This record gives sequence, C-alpha cells and structure tokens, in this order.
Amino acid sequence: MSADTLIPEEPEAPTNRPPSMQRVRLWLQRPYARKVLILTVLIGFLLLPLAWLLLAGMNQTGAPASEIMKDIEQTVFVFTLVSIPITAFVFAVLVYSLIGWRQISGDEPPMQDSPAIRTNTIGVILWTVSSTLLAMFLVVWGLVELAQITANSYGTISADEQPGQKSSEIINVTGQQWVWTFEYPEHNGLTSDILYLPLDRPVYFNVTSKDVIHNFWAVELGVKIDANPGAITQTGVTANKLGTFNVRCAELCGMHHAYMQTQIQVLEQDAFDSWVRESGGKKTS
Amino acid sequence: MSVETAVETKTIFGSEVPQPPQHGAAGGVMRGLNFGTGLVGGIGLAAVAGWITAILTPSSASNASFAPMEPTYVYLAVLLGWVVGFMLGIGAFVGPLRWVVGRDVTHADAEYMAGKDLGRKRYWKYTTDHKVVGIQYLIVTMLLLGFAGLLAMLIRTELGMTWTSLFTPAFYNSMIGTHGIAMIIGMIVVVSGPLGNFIVPMMIGARDMAFPRLNALSLWLFVAAVPMLVSSMFMGGIQDGWSVYQPLASQAPVGMLGYQMTIIVFAISTAVASVNLMTTILTMRAKGMTWSRTPIFVYGIFAASIMGLYAFPFFQYSQILGLADRVFATSFFDPLNGGSVWLYENLFWLLGHPEVYVILIPSTAVALELMPVFLRKPLFSFNFAVAGIVGVVALSGLVWAHHMYMTGWAPAANYPFMLSTELISIPVGFLVLVAIGTFWRGTAWTRLPLMAVYAVIFNKMIGGVTGVYLSDVPADQYFHGSMFVVAHFHFMLMGAGLFGAMAGIAYFFPKMTGRFLDERTGSIGLWTAFVGFQITFISMFVAGLQGQPRRVLDFDDQFNLSNWISTIGAYVIGIGMLIFLSAIINSWRSGVIASSNPWGSKSLEWQTETPVPLENFPVLPVVTERPYNYGVPDPYEAELDSIDEDLTEKAGTK
Amino acid sequence: MSTSTFPVSPTTGEPISTIARRSRLGLWLVIVADIAGTIALVISYTYLWSLNVNGGWAPPGATLTANQTNSTLPTTPSTATFAVEWPFWGILLVLIVATALMWFGYRSARSGNHAGLIAGAGLSFLVTVAVLVFQWIQMSTFPFGAGDGAYASAVLLLCASNIFHLFLLLFIGMGIFMRARKGLIDKTNWYQAQLASYYMTWVCIAFLLGAILTTFLVESPNTDPAIFGTFKQQ
Ligand code: HEM
Ligand SMILES: [Cu+2]
Ligand SMILES: [Cu+2]
Repeated sequence: MSADTLIPEEPEAPTNRPPSMQRVRLWLQRPYARKVLILTVLIGFLLLPLAWLLLAGMNQTGAPASEIMKDIEQTVFVFTLVSIPITAFVFAVLVYSLIGWRQISGDEPPMQDSPAIRTNTIGVILWTVSSTLLAMFLVVWGLVELAQITANSYGTISADEQPGQKSSEIINVTGQQWVWTFEYPEHNGLTSDILYLPLDRPVYFNVTSKDVIHNFWAVELGVKIDANPGAITQTGVTANKLGTFNVRCAELCGMHHAYMQTQIQVLEQDAFDSWVRESGGKKTS
Repeated sequence: MSVETAVETKTIFGSEVPQPPQHGAAGGVMRGLNFGTGLVGGIGLAAVAGWITAILTPSSASNASFAPMEPTYVYLAVLLGWVVGFMLGIGAFVGPLRWVVGRDVTHADAEYMAGKDLGRKRYWKYTTDHKVVGIQYLIVTMLLLGFAGLLAMLIRTELGMTWTSLFTPAFYNSMIGTHGIAMIIGMIVVVSGPLGNFIVPMMIGARDMAFPRLNALSLWLFVAAVPMLVSSMFMGGIQDGWSVYQPLASQAPVGMLGYQMTIIVFAISTAVASVNLMTTILTMRAKGMTWSRTPIFVYGIFAASIMGLYAFPFFQYSQILGLADRVFATSFFDPLNGGSVWLYENLFWLLGHPEVYVILIPSTAVALELMPVFLRKPLFSFNFAVAGIVGVVALSGLVWAHHMYMTGWAPAANYPFMLSTELISIPVGFLVLVAIGTFWRGTAWTRLPLMAVYAVIFNKMIGGVTGVYLSDVPADQYFHGSMFVVAHFHFMLMGAGLFGAMAGIAYFFPKMTGRFLDERTGSIGLWTAFVGFQITFISMFVAGLQGQPRRVLDFDDQFNLSNWISTIGAYVIGIGMLIFLSAIINSWRSGVIASSNPWGSKSLEWQTETPVPLENFPVLPVVTERPYNYGVPDPYEAELDSIDEDLTEKAGTK
Repeated sequence: MSTSTFPVSPTTGEPISTIARRSRLGLWLVIVADIAGTIALVISYTYLWSLNVNGGWAPPGATLTANQTNSTLPTTPSTATFAVEWPFWGILLVLIVATALMWFGYRSARSGNHAGLIAGAGLSFLVTVAVLVFQWIQMSTFPFGAGDGAYASAVLLLCASNIFHLFLLLFIGMGIFMRARKGLIDKTNWYQAQLASYYMTWVCIAFLLGAILTTFLVESPNTDPAIFGTFKQQ
C-alpha cells in the first residue's frame, strides 16, 4: 500500500498526517523500535520455561491427583503464558532504557532535555485494547474454570453419584486445635485421623470446626475450604490417582498450626472396603 | 454584650488583622508542654488507671471460660490511660478546650505553635507546621519499620534453621503477627505521612495544611498508637497473624488488646489525616492550578486519603467489636453465641483491600512524579495516569472478598468478586503504561531516585502478575493460605511500595534536609536490598508452589531448600537496608549541601528556598502551565511533519 | 469596629468565608468517615440477624416462632428477651428536637437575632443532655445483658455508638453556646453554628438507622441453622 492510494480514502482528516498504518511502518523503521521488540521476544523466550517450572513445583508430591487439580494447573499454565508477552515488553523497555536510550550520570541536571512526548494515541489505544482483552480473557477463563471445578466437585455428576447416593461417599471433616478428624457417616460413623479415599468415586466433604477457623487443604487433590466454627462448608472431589498425599491446615489456628497435617490415602475400592471392614465400619454396598 | 474598646491588630502578609485578646505569653500553656510532658502524662495516667482498676476489680471476676478478667481490665485501663494521658500531656486538648471556652488563638499563639523561633525544640512539640510534622512522621515511621524489620530477620532466622527451633510456637506466632501489622501500619504512613505532609502543601503552592492543628493531632495519635503495639509483645503478643481472625483472636492472651487499641487509635489518626489532606488539596491549590495542572503525586495522595477515609472505619469497628467480645463478653464473633466469624472477615477485608492501595498508590505516584525530572520529558499521558488512579479508587471497595474465596461464606459471590478483581488490573495497567511511556526514549539521568523506579516497576510487574493468579478462584484454591500469597504481597508492599518510598525519600531529601542523600552508599544499599529481595521472595514463591502453608514455624523437609535460600536472601536485604539507613543518617548529619532546586525541577515545591521558610512562599505563586513541561520537540515528529508536507503536496497535485 | 464588617481569621488573615468553606468541606469528610463506621454497625447487625448462627441471634427468653431454637446459649436469665421498640424512637424524637433547636440558633445567628442564637444553642445543649440521660436509662434497663446472644450484642453496640455521638454533640453544643455568649458567633461569623447543625442532622440519621434496625429486623428470618455450599445433604 503506498501513501498515494491511502490519502484519498480519508479526504477530510483534520490533519494531513500519514495514516496509521503508514505511521506504524515508519515507526518500525526507527532503530530503537526494532531493538525493543527483539528484546521483548528474547525476554519472552527467557520467561517461557516458567510456565513449566511452576507446574513442576506444584507436582513435586504427586499432583495432580484429581480433575480439579488438573484444572488448577491448566489455569496456572495458561495464565503464565498469556502474561509473558506483556511482562516481557515492560522488562524490555526497562532494559532498553538503561542500555539503549542515552543515559548520563553526574551531579548537574542534564543540559539537553529528551523529546517532549506527552502522549501517543496509537500506543495508548493499543495498550488499552490489549490489556482489556487480556483481562477479559482471564475473567472468562476464570469463570469457566470455576464452573468446571464446581462441576467436578459435585455439579454435573450423574444422579446416583450425587451426595448421599450409593456410588458416592460423604465424609465429615472436623478441624480442631490441632488435629483433623474424618468421619464416614455412611459406615457406622467410622472415624479416622487419616483421610482414606476410594479411587475414582466422588467424595463429598462436610467441613466444620470445633474451635477456631482452620482450612482443609488436600494439597495434591486441589481441594481447599475453610473449616469454620458455627457453620458447615461443603465441597467435593474425585481422586483419580492412587497414592499418599497431604492434608495441611492452611489457616493460622494457634500454636501448633504448623503440625496440623495428616495423610491422604487413595485406595482401590477393594482396599478401601477392607479398610472400612477392619476399622469396624460397615462395608460399602 | 460588652464590646471591648480597643482591639489589637497584627500585620499578616501586609494586611491589618484584628486579634482576639492575648492571655499571657504567646502559646499559653503550650509553652510548657512537649514530648516529655506527654510521656509523663501518659505513663502517669496509665499507672494510675491501671492501679485503680486493679483495686476495683473483684479478684473473682472471670469470663465464661473461667479465665480471670483482672489482667484484661488492667491492661485496657493502662492503654486507655496512656493514650489520654499522652495526648493530654503533649497538649492535644488545649486547642479544643480553648475553642469551647471561646478563648481564640491569636496570631502570636499560632506562630508559637507552628514552631517559630523554637529551633530544634519544635520537633519535640505539638507543632502545627506541616514541614515539622512531615519530618516527625519520617522519624517515627522509620523507627516502626525498623522494629518490624528486626522481627522479620528473627522470623527468617527461625525458618532457616530447619534443624532446630529458636522460639516457642507462641512467641513465633506473636512475632509474625506483630511484624505484619507493624509493617502494614508503617507502609500506610511511609509516603503519605512524611511526603504527604512535607511536600504536598508546597507542591500545590499553599502555606500550610487546611487544619494545622489536626495535622499535629494525626501525627501524635500515631505516635501514641505505636507503643501500644509494641507493648503487646510483652503481654503475650499478637499470636494470630496481622489479620487477627476471630475467634482465634479471642483465645489469645491479653496482648490482643494492644493490637485492638492500636488500630482504634490509628484509625482515628488516619481519618484525621485524610480529612486534612483532602481539604487541603481541594481548597488550597495555588491560583491557576487547575486539575490538569496538578501534579500526579497530589492525585496519588488524594486517592489514598479517599480510600483511607472510607475504609478505615470498617477496620476500626472490627476491632471495637473484638474488644467488646473480649472485655464485655458480647458475642459478635463467637459462634457459640450467635456470632459469626465471617462478619469479622468481611469487616476486616473491607478495609484490607483498599488499604493495599493506600500503600501502593502514593508510592507509585511519587515514582511517576520524579520520573519526568530525571528523564527530562513530560509524564507520558497524564490523563491515563489520572484515569488509572481514579479506576483503582473506584474499584477498590468492590473486591474485598477475593481474600475470602476459600472461606465458604458465599460460594456464589466468588464469581462477581473474581470479575471485579481482575478488572482492577486494567487501571493498574494504565499506571504501568504511564511509567514505561515516560521511560520511552528518555535520556535517563541515572541518579538514585530514578534507579529505584526501575526496581519498583520490575517488582510491581511480578506482584501484579502473581496477583492475577490469586484473583482467579481455581488457582487461588491452590495458592490461598500458602507461601505464594506471602511472596505476592511482599512483591507489592515491599518491592513496589517500600522501594517507591525509598525513591521518594531520596528525591525529596535535599528539600527536607538541605543535603543530598549520599549517592554511593544509598545506591549500594538499595541494590543490595533489591538483590536480597529477589532471592528471598522468589524462593518463597517456590515454597508456595510446592505447597508450604504460610505462618508455620516448622515444615516438611521438602521445603527446606527454598527456605534456606529465602533466609539467606533476607539477610542480604537486612544488610542492604542497614546500608541505606546509614546513608540516610550520615547524609542528614553531614551530607553534601544541596541547592534549593538541585534536580532542576519545574514543580512548585522546588521553587521555595531551602531550608523552607515557615510560610513556604513569601508571595503565593500563580500557576500558568501544565506540570512536567520538560523536553525538546521530538525530532521524529519533525520527520513526520515533513512526510506530512510531502503527502499534502502529493494530494494537492493529484 | 472593623471586625463585624469584614471578618477575617486572626491567625492567617484569610476571610472568614474562606475558612468557613474549608471547614464545611472538612466536616463533610468527617461525616463520610462517620457514615462508613455506621455502615459497619449496620452490616454487623443485619449480617448476624440474617445468619442466626447456632440459633444464637435471639436472647434466650424471647418467644420464638416455629422451630427457631437457641440451644447453645448458656445459662443466662430466661427473662432475657428482645428490647421494647418505642424507646429507640422516643430518643430519636428528643434528639430531633435538640437538632431543630440548634438549627433555630444557627438561623437566628444568620439573621442577626443574637438572643435567638444563644437560646437555641443553650436549649439544644440541655435537650441533648436529656437525650443522653434517656439513652443511658434505656441501655441500663434492657431485658438482656451483653452475653445474651448476637441480638443483645448488636443492640448494645448501637446504643454505645449513640452515646459516643451524644458526647460529641455535648461538646459541640457547649462550645457553640459559650462562644455565642462571648459574641464569637454572630451575624458575620456563623459558620460554626452551621456546622454544628449539619453534624447534629447526620447524627439524627444515624439514630434513625438504629431505630429502624431494632424495630424491623428483630426475629431472624433464618430458622434453620444454615448449611453453606452448593449441595445439601440428603
Ligand atoms: C493487580 C493487582 C492485584 C491483584 C489482582 C491482587 C490479588 C490478590 C488476591 C486475590 C489476594 C488473596 C490471596 C489469598 O489470600 O488467597 C491477595 C492477597 C494480598 N495482596 Fe494482592 N493483589 C493485587 C495487588 C496488590 C497490591 C498492590 C498490594 C499491596 C500493596 C497487595 C497486597 C496483598 C496482601 C497484603 C495480600 C495478603 C493478605 C493476607 O492474606 O494476609 N496486592 N492479592
Ligand atoms: Cu488448623
Ligand atoms: Cu486484596
């Protein structure tokens, strides 16, 4: 597109400035513009491994052990990816400001001022549009994922897997300074201080506290909810990985808060049943 | 009514002003009052009140769980006695009493109270001059932050020594609680107090604040509040984190009263300061200083004042209710008796979130304020800077429940709160745009204040991006209550907030003290702290990702490595901060003398003499242009213009 | 004498009208903070009312509808019950009288009726004392104590907030009265009486909110201790 062909299309533009596309192209020819962009890409690639590193950190003890945790990790992954470009750009400007545009030290104010750029319409619009789009994307992503997680906890599960039905399990979780107690009301009120979960079956938690606020965090399952005195909070999860995982208290609850942790054992259905039998509960049907 | 026959007059800035009758020497009782009498009054009344309460309390008094109530009553009486006695002793009640009895302050009285001809003594008195108040704020805040920093070192030492325990769990918990709230209070004040008071009136071309006596009141209430916080360390401490969630807080030892009283008094101080700053900014700007000619720092302080004004009462009431539960056996937060723990959380975070902006906005604004001076170009898109600040203020009150995603108080509310929280990153983004736009093509005069801004923006990006993770409910389901949150808010509070405050203090140091902040030592301190900061908090992010809960003094071996690194980083920060502090102290005492406008700024505050005379401006200034009128015509614009001409010609010939 | 024709501040030499404008703005901002505090109280009251945690909202002796129980309350006197409602309105009414008197005083000052100003401010002060006495009597004769559940706590707190406001009003009223007598408030310099009237009006609104809460939000609508979450146990 040459400038000649573009001009007649905007005959009554108030100033005869070159049209935007043209200006962008001219802008790209400036020596610093390319360098900042290249720097952005470079920094972006440097930051890219973070997307995997974050997940590696989260997966150290065997996560994800449920769909919920998978959703969480996916969110972290996507958020890292989408925030890298903008972060890289900002860092690139900072770096280029120090190495590229002229810099001076000394005791006296610089003799020569910099260009008086009071604003730049294209730049401002670009930034606003892209940051708004980004925020919108994050919001939509978040809302969808939240609905998804809610569904994975209890929403879209088939009728016979809903709380109280036979292919699900209800567990009453009680926090108390500084222990967790898990009660299995459907098995003669069997109680345990280790959380035994059957593999691949929906489990529902009624969570409460006897004294202060605790927070029931089943780390590798991505379950977290406060245990409040005077109220019951509810959540659910389907564990889909065998193994030993951690429950930690994630709300300061007094002196021995640090030690308020226990294990999760995810067992095959048979093993779960025999645990129930041996501990004096009644077997699942 | 009897009319006096002759009225004294006094010449003030050239006009004859009638004076009320002068009783005794100028200043009246205030002549005899100072910090010393305040201490005597405070300690004296505290002792008397405590003693009387101890006598009056029957030894059988106990609460529902049979704990004796006497320590509670006595400690409360001591704290109340301290505040009232201290304020009495320093003379805070003299003004109001004179108002009631109609013995109005004369010009001579007012000059005495502003510290005229008092020399250094004026820093120890209930002085109304905004410049004195600014310096007083600076000193008190640095002491408070230093105290909190010391606790931070102890905390990290404990966490780094994974093989043993230095402290009892109770003392450890009390350290993290006290560290947290002391830092939060200090950071709320660190820009608005020293710079808001010292600089803002000069920046808008005024002679003092709108209500000079209220200015002194806000400062000395703050001074009265701080010892109460420290005292609680000796009364069993604040063992419940800085957010002192109920009902854990009502289990805590009596030290909790120290926290509650501190907040109640500090909230009054903040409200008074906010009213004063807002009125000053709204009504006392120089002739010609329209809103588009008002510097961005003034906007920042104004925004922080708005948020402080509407949000602090919630915090104050949350603590009043908690205090009532403890002292009068009410049951606001006691679930056994109809109270709700979620009520506390809501009240607390209704303050808690706006308050993080009360910290961030002023220090961002001070960074934006100084950038044009050191880059010798205008602030990029002033309108966007204002829009960013306005947007943050507008949304600040609508996001508090993102701290309560995991409480279960209202699961359906997580959707709208996630929306509002993520929207707030748009106006925050505007502020980043303004900063990088100002860097854009600027010749950087790489002095310490500007260099600190690089650190601020770097940290702010990291804090902001991790904030976005946390604002997402699914991700927060993993991160909430973990070390990840701790790292996030330290990047914001310390990385952006404190480094911004350091930039601001370095920038205004020549105006406030008449001397330069030593460039070399200051920079070494700053960058040492910066490096330590990255080490400490990046490894804390790692610990959070691995699943380490926050506020624990002991943890699985899996977290050892990241904690060791974090502790090493913390020591590096500590060393850096000490170096910076020594730069401040040495430069203050014997630094290089600075001229009255050493940075070549065009802003009003630098047009005054140094040291600044009592009335700031002998003649009030008139503003005729926009701020930040730096810069030369853009060469590329000229190039564009020539293309422009080319095109016009072509279009014409066609 | 020049004082009455062109009043200026004795300390800064600025015209009184400037000082008045500044103080008015300051007062509005103080009221904003006060409103926020009052909202905190209203939130506390309504939130506890709506939750009825453990059935502990109502005082133990209150006659309860349906199966609203308060099982966990400890052994407090079973006479404890909801407060009588009319005193809240009675107190508000008397406070409105005090406020009207202050407004009368302020109006008188502006129109140069100095005796009216002194009478208005003085009577307003006396009536405010009466309000304080009534408030005190009400508070000390409630059929419940501080430990009788969330309702009792919330109502007592409203009253405590009222009393705090009344002490402020007493201080202000006293000041206006004394200054009026000394001639420091007059036809040309009346802004302090105006500010006092404004503030008293706001306090009336705060009292009104309290009266509305204690009249219309009494028995908790939540008769079933809540289960929170998105599924209910079957
Ligand atoms: C883009 C902006 C920001 C977003 C989206 C954001 C988001 C969040 C969220 C969602 C939490 C709650 C995490 C949890 O407890 O699960 C949080 C915690 C926190 N944020 Fe931010 N934040 C932002 C900026 C800031 C700023 C500017 C500051 C301070 C200057 C700050 C200070 C804090 C503090 C102190 C906490 C922890 C409170 C506690 O639990 O003790 N944040 N942030
Ligand atoms: Cu716990
Ligand atoms: Cu927040």
